Amino acid sequence: MKLVPVPPIAGRTLDAQLHLLDRQALDNDGVPVTTVDDLELSGPEPGTEIPEGTPAPVITALLTGPVLGTRIFGGRPPSSRLIRIPWKDVADVGVVIKLGVSGDSLDADWVERWIRDKIIARIPGGRHDPR
Amino acid sequence: METRPGNTRTSKRTLLLAVCFAGTAFLTGCGGVTDTVSTAVEDSASAIATARLALGQESAGKLTTAAAATALEDSLRELQTSRDSVVRLSPSTPEDRQVRQEALAVLEGCTAGLNTARDSVAGNDGAPSAEDGKQALDEAAGRLSELKTKVGAQ
Amino acid sequence: MKRILGVALGILTAIGGFVDIGDLVTNAVVGSRFGMSLVWVVAVGVVGICLFANMSGRVAAASGRATFEVIRERLGPRAGLANLSASFLINLMTVTAEIGGVALALQLASSVHYLLWIPVAALAVWLVVWRVKFSIMENVTGLLGLTLIVFAVALFLLKPDWGNLAGQALAPAVPDEETASSYWYYAIALFGAAMTPYEVFFFSSGAVEEGWSIKDLIQSRINVLVGFPLGGVLSVAIAGCAAVVLLPAGIAVTSLSQVILPVAEGAGKLGLAFVLIGLVAATFGAALETTLSSGYTLAQFFGWSWGKFRRPAQAARFHLSMIITLLIGIAVLSTGVDPVLITEYSVVFSAIALPLTYLPILIVANDPQYMGKHVNGRPVNVLAMIYLVIILAASLAAIPLMIVTGAGS
Repeated sequence: MKLVPVPPIAGRTLDAQLHLLDRQALDNDGVPVTTVDDLELSGPEPGTEIPEGTPAPVITALLTGPVLGTRIFGGRPPSSRLIRIPWKDVADVGVVIKLGVSGDSLDADWVERWIRDKIIARIPGGRHDPR
Repeated sequence: METRPGNTRTSKRTLLLAVCFAGTAFLTGCGGVTDTVSTAVEDSASAIATARLALGQESAGKLTTAAAATALEDSLRELQTSRDSVVRLSPSTPEDRQVRQEALAVLEGCTAGLNTARDSVAGNDGAPSAEDGKQALDEAAGRLSELKTKVGAQ
Repeated sequence: MKRILGVALGILTAIGGFVDIGDLVTNAVVGSRFGMSLVWVVAVGVVGICLFANMSGRVAAASGRATFEVIRERLGPRAGLANLSASFLINLMTVTAEIGGVALALQLASSVHYLLWIPVAALAVWLVVWRVKFSIMENVTGLLGLTLIVFAVALFLLKPDWGNLAGQALAPAVPDEETASSYWYYAIALFGAAMTPYEVFFFSSGAVEEGWSIKDLIQSRINVLVGFPLGGVLSVAIAGCAAVVLLPAGIAVTSLSQVILPVAEGAGKLGLAFVLIGLVAATFGAALETTLSSGYTLAQFFGWSWGKFRRPAQAARFHLSMIITLLIGIAVLSTGVDPVLITEYSVVFSAIALPLTYLPILIVANDPQYMGKHVNGRPVNVLAMIYLVIILAASLAAIPLMIVTGAGS
C-alpha cells in the first residue's frame, strides 16, 4: 500500500528519536522546563487499518511526566492524563529544544510551580538570588 | 529483549554459582567455637591495645580528654560486640564448652578493666587514677594473650 | 600575580577536597592491617580519577552540558534510568556516611555523643547548600581540608623506618595474619574510595555552575593533575601513620577515634587540633558535594531546572530532592547503625557501580557532536580503555570477595 508522499516544505529534516526525544526543553528565558519524555502524534491509531490517502502523522505535542514510565516499560496512559507542551510553543530545535513561551504558562511546569509555592517559597531565603 | 538459545543454560549456571557462593558463605560463617573465640580474642586484643594507647597518650598530654574518652567508648563497644559473639555460641562438646567458659571469663575481666580506664579518664570524684586504669588494661592484655595461645594451640 | 593566586587556590582546594570519610577510614584500616602493601592501589586510583575528572570537565566545558544531562540524550532513557538508580542509591549511601563522619569528628572534638551531632551536621549541610555561593563553599572547605597534611607531618615526626615502609610499598605482599581474599577485597575498597563516582557528577556540574568554557580547561587540568596526586599522597600518609603506630600494636581500625591516635602520638595536642579541623572540614565538604550530586543527577535526568547559581525558588525540585536526601540520611543514622560500617560498604558499592558511571562519560567524550574538536585524543583513549578493564574487573570481583571474606572481617 502506498502512503501519501510528504508535501514539499522548506525547512530541516529532523529525526524525532535523535533530535526530539530525551532532549532538554528550555523556556524563552533559558530556564530548563523538562526533558522530552515522549511525543504525541496525530493520525491513525496503531494497530488499525490505514486507508489510502491518509495524511502523514503530525507531531501535536511534546509529552513529559509519568509517560516516561510507559515509554520505558510499555503501555499508554489515557489522553486526558498526558502532560503536553503544544508543538506550536516550540521555537527552535538544536542541541536543546527552545520554547517560545515562558515556563510559567506551561502545564508541564506545574510540579515545579507547586513545589515552589508550597515548600520552597515558605522556607526563608527561598527567593534569594545567590549572585 | 532478544532471547538466545544459550540463555537458559547461562541462567542455570549463574544460579549454580550463586548457590555455591551462598554455601561457601554459610560454611565460612559457621566457623565453629574455636574460630569464633579466636576472632573475638583478636578483636578484643585490638580494642584493649587501642585503650592502652589512648590512655597512655592522655597521661602524656598528647591526647585531649574528649578524644581519649571517645576512643575508650569505641573500644568498649568493640569489646562488647566480641563478647556477644561468644555468648551466642552453642557449644556441643565439653571441650568447646570449656573454651567458651574461659573466653567469657577473660572477656568479662577485660570489660571491667576497660571500665576502670574509662572512669579514670572521666575523672569524677573518687574515680580511679590513671595509674589504676593503666594497670587494669595491662592485666587485661596479659590475660587475652594467654587465652590466645591456648585457643591457638588447640 | 592574581593569576598565580588563582591557580594556587585551585590546586590547594583540589588537594584539600580530595580526602573524604571513605579515604580516611579505608586508608586507616588498610594501613593498620596490611601495612603499606596496598599503596599501589592508591596510585592506580589517583591516575584513574585524574583521567575521568579531566574527561568529565572537558565534556562540560566543550558542550556546556553536565554529565548526566548528556547520558540520557546519548544512551536513551532505559540506560539512563538504570544509571540514575544505581548512582543515586550509592550517592545516598555516601551522603549518609559523610554526615555520619562529620558527627563522629565533632564527637571526637567535643565528647558530645555523635547521635546528637547528626541533625546539627545535616542542618549545617543544608544551610550551606541553600545559601552559600558555590565558589565560596568549595574554597573554604577545600582550604580547611588542607589541615589533613598533619598526617604527613605526624608521619615524619614519628621517625619511622623509611626503608621498611618503602619496601612494603614497592614489593607488596599479603601479611601473614591476613588472607589473599581480604587483601584483594581491600584493594577494591581502596580503589572505590579513590575513584568516587560522585566526584565526576560534581565536577562536571560544578563546571557548568561556574560557567567554564574551553579556556578554563587549562586551569582545571592543572587543578586535577597537580591537586589530585597530592591528595593521593595525603591518603598514603594516613595509611602510613596507621602502619607505623597501629599495626605493631595489633590495632585493627574499626572506628574513627583510632584513625587520629597516630597523629596524637607523633604531633601531640597541636597535631590533634589540626587533624580534628581537617576531619570536620573534609567530611563536611564531601557531605556538601555528595548532597549536591544527588540533586544534580536527579535534576539532570528529568530535565528539571537546577544549579546553585539559580534562586532556590527557580530550582524548586532540585532543592526539594536534596532536602529529602538529607532527611533520609538522618533517618538511617538515627537507627544507630555504625557510620564507619556504612562507610566501608559505601566504598565497595562505589567500586561495583563504577562501570555504570564511567562508561557513559567515555562514550560522550568521544562524540564529536558534543565535543566538537575536543574529543579524546588517542593516548587518552588508550588509557581510558585500560582503566575500563580495571574498573570492570574490580566491579565483578567485589561481591564474590565480599561474600568470601565476610565484608573484610
